[in-house]
Parts: sequence; structure tokens; C-alpha cells
Amino acid sequence: MDKLKTISWILFIISIMFIVYALIFNLVNWIVYAISLVFIPLSILSFGLISMARGKKEDEEDKRKEPFIGY
Amino acid sequence: MNLMADILLNVIIAFLVGSVLFGLQRKIMARIQMRPGPPIIQHLLHTFKFFIKESAFPKTAAMPFYIAITAMLCAIWVAAVIVGPVTEGSLLLFFAIYALHKIVEHNAGSSSGSPYGKMSCVRAVFSAAAELPLFAVLIIIYLKTGTMNIGNIVTYQGHYGPLIWGIPLAAMMFFVLILSKAPYSPFAITKGKDIISGYETEHFGLLRGYLMISESIAWYMLLWVFLTVFIGGLSPIGYLIGMVLISALVALINATTPILNPNHSIMVQVSLAFIGVLGSIILLTVY
Amino acid sequence: MDLTTLGGQFIGIIPLGDIVLYFTTFNLFMFAAVLVFTVLIAISRTESQVEAQFGTLKDREKKVGKAEFKIRRFLAIVCGLATAGAMITGDVFDFTLFVALIGIVNIGIVAAVKEIDVLDSAFQYGIIAMIASLPLFGGAAFILASTGTLSLLEIVNIPTTTLMLFGSILLFLGVAGETGVAPFFATKAEMFRTPGSPFLLIIHLSSLMVIVRIIEILLIINKPF
Repeated sequence: MDKLKTISWILFIISIMFIVYALIFNLVNWIVYAISLVFIPLSILSFGLISMARGKKEDEEDKRKEPFIGY
Repeated sequence: MNLMADILLNVIIAFLVGSVLFGLQRKIMARIQMRPGPPIIQHLLHTFKFFIKESAFPKTAAMPFYIAITAMLCAIWVAAVIVGPVTEGSLLLFFAIYALHKIVEHNAGSSSGSPYGKMSCVRAVFSAAAELPLFAVLIIIYLKTGTMNIGNIVTYQGHYGPLIWGIPLAAMMFFVLILSKAPYSPFAITKGKDIISGYETEHFGLLRGYLMISESIAWYMLLWVFLTVFIGGLSPIGYLIGMVLISALVALINATTPILNPNHSIMVQVSLAFIGVLGSIILLTVY
Repeated sequence: MDLTTLGGQFIGIIPLGDIVLYFTTFNLFMFAAVLVFTVLIAISRTESQVEAQFGTLKDREKKVGKAEFKIRRFLAIVCGLATAGAMITGDVFDFTLFVALIGIVNIGIVAAVKEIDVLDSAFQYGIIAMIASLPLFGGAAFILASTGTLSLLEIVNIPTTTLMLFGSILLFLGVAGETGVAPFFATKAEMFRTPGSPFLLIIHLSSLMVIVRIIEILLIINKPF
């Protein structure tokens, strides 16, 4: 597991925990707004970073280098 | 209901309805152009599909900006959902959210280093100059109703009838704004096919899926604001019918018009904004 | 009329002597958004712009040099902070000062670039910004002269007079020139050709956010009801 995956898992778990926390307890309004503004986007992004497929290591360098010609 | 549950529910509804409306729009456009067209849920499927596709981040991109900008787009439209259906807050906030949307459009393009994105970024600066005057429609609504609060505007319409009859030119301006946010629209210069996918060109894989989620929410929210502010006090079924009708109308226009040249697009939008603002103010003073 | 009609829920004020910062939902949202963008700019690298080379099939990469990067990042952060200040200030003169600062810093951000087209447009924009500073401060002066105060929290309770309307028109002209939106945007769009996307963002962000804010201020000064 590489660094990106680890960070995404941590972020994903933290954001889901915050969302669930706000779901279970009735918090003050502005805290709920803050949680939903920060952690809903973050949970989707980190979920995406976890679920995305990664190419082979040697191919990936080419893709990063020549992104504009497609593959 | 728990506030978080309310927000989550509204965000999910916005995403699903927005995606299906985009799909419906493509279907109608295809039928007008005598093609069978993709299934209505195609946009939704694409969104999910992008999440499991292989992704790589270009070496030339401005990290972490390149990724953070997609999260910003999602965050501002979640904010729009909170201001809109959840709390019925101030319309001025929508103005701010829309301005931020233009900024995200601008910088999603330039952050990748791709020439197509860059082109789209410069076009976004131009189109912001035209679309913000269109958003001045909110001021006309304020002059008419004396409030910026969405809840109060709905109450006002309960007493005096829908605003679409009171300030038709303002409704026209807002419709042009909605039209310019639709894909394949004559005003969609930032996403014109001459620059591949505009600002989204280099955001492929999961980032594209993420952008598509936010755009679906944005489309739902724009239609929601239009229906709430100009027709007001609809039931959920009423909202759904209204959204389908507006999407169909937008699809009809998109299918039959080419994408305008950037200069022409700006000029048309600015002229419509000018006519709308001046005409509405004249109408307001006369009546 | 009061401030909550426009900006939603009134959250609070921060009194700093006679300068009062105030927060409504609207101000707070914009303030937070600008600060988030400023932080992102502070930690972000710049992109390298890829351009097709003429005559061959190769690409050319335009990068931002290190010295240039440092000064532009500094100016971008100053611009972000000035914009954030303009979002929450409750004082018309303060607002005009922040806008003037934004104008100066915007020129600074692109002045470090060694490209003729960009420098040309920065020069033209600079001239417009300089000319616009007269109506900008003049507008604030007219509002002070006609109401006896510059605080928006006070002005909101004062009925509109013709002189206030005139002052606010001048103020709007000043802000339009200073931020380079329509009808002045043509000079500014050329400035976006340079590489360095995070710094270009703040130029665009500051002008749009200030325009959104000036609409709130104009509606506070001119009460239609």
C-alpha cells in the first residue's frame, strides 16, 4: 500500500466518522454546517482516491509525462 | 429531523436528480437530431464509472491545487444545498457561490498546464464578465420583493402570485444563466468542443467523476433556485415537473443551436443582461 | 431595513476602535472561502504550461522561476488577505483602501513576469486602476459628507439622499475600474496568459469577490424602501 492510499484511507475514515457523529448527536447548527462543508467533499474525494485503479509503475511515468496526447 | 441527515439527503437528491436530468437532456437532444441517444441514466453511470477508472496526475499540474480545486467545487455546491433547500437562506449567498463557481472553472483549467485548459481558463474570465451581470437578476428580485431571504420570497409569492409574471425579464435573464451552464449550450464556451473538454480536459479518472457529481448538484440547484424564486411554494412533484420541463426546453435550444464564438457569446449575454436589467427597472417604476 | 435582510443571520461584530468588522452568514462564507483559497495558494506549487513549438513536433514548457515564484506568492497572499479583509469590513473607507491595495497587488503579481503581452496589459490595467482610484475614494468621501459616518452599521439606518446615490455610483465606478471587470475586463484577460495558476486565481478571485461585496454595500447605502 503506497502513501497516497494510506492517506486516503485515513481521511476517508475520519470524514465518515465526523459525518456519522453529526448524524447521531444533535450538534449546534454551525458545527453541522462546518462538518458537512468540509467532510462531505473530503469523503467523496478520498473514496475516489481509494477506489481508483492505478496503472503499472513503469507505464504510469509515461502517462504523467505525456498527459495531453492521451493513451 | 437531524440537520446532518437533512443536508445529506438533500445533497444525494440533488446529485441523483441532477444526473438524471443531464441524461434526459442528452436523450432529448439526440431524439431531436434523429439519433437514438444514450439511456437516461448514462450520465449517472459515467459518474460512477469514472471512480473505478485508472487515474494519473499530470507531471505539469500545480499540486495540490489541481486536486483541491475539485474538492472546492463540491464544497461550494454543498454550501448551495445548505443555503437553498435546507435553510432557505439569503439569495446573496447564491451570488457568492456562483462567483466562486466561475473561479473554480477558471482555475481547474489553468492548474493542469494543458493548453486546452488554459484556453478555457481565459474564456472563463471573459464569461465571468458576462455572467455576473446576468446574476444581477437577484437585485431586481430584491427591488421587487424587498427581501433577499428565500423563505420570505416564497411567502411574498404566496400573497402576490408568482414572480415570473411580475418580473418576466428577470426570469429570462436567469434562464439564460441556466442555459449557459448546460453542456452543449450555445453559451458553453468554457466547455466548447473546440477545446476538447475545456477546463475538465486534464481532470480525468476519479477527478472527472468528482467534477461531474458537483456539476449535477449545481444543475439541480440552479433549477431549484429558478423554480423557488420565480414560481415559488411548489410541492416535490411540482419541482420535479418544473425541472424536467426546463431541462427539456434547454435541450431543445441546445440541440438546435451551435456553440457561439466566444466574443458573440459574451456579447449576446451582456446584451440580454442589459435589456433585462434596464427593462425590469423600467417595468418596476411604471407599475 | 437591517443587515440581516441582505446577508442572512447576523453573527457578530469585531470592534477595533472605530473600525468595526461585522459578520453575517454571507460575509462569513465569503471570508472563509477567500481564506481557504489563500491557504491553498500558499502551499501550492505552480504548473508548467505546455505549449506547442512552431516548426517541430516538440512541446515547450513554460515554468515559473524560483525568485519570481517567491515574490509572486508573497504578493498573492497579500492580495488574498486584502480580499478577505474587504469581505468583512464594516467601514466604507476601509473597504476602498482594501480595494486599492488589491489593485496595486494585482499589477505586482503579473509585473514579475517577463512577457511583453502580459506586461503591456498589466500596464494598461494599472492605468485604469490609477484613474479609478479617484472615483473610488471620491465616492467614499461623498458618502461621508452626506451621512456624517463611514460605518455601514450606521449608514444602514440613514434614509437615502441623492448625494448618497451619487456617492455610491462613484464608488461602483471606482471598484469596477480597480478590479478590472466589465467594461474594463479586456485589459485584464490578457494578464491570464502567464503560467502560475495559483497566482492568477487570486487576481480573478479578488475581483469577483469584491464585485459581489460591493453589491451588498450598494444595497446597504441605497435603501429602495
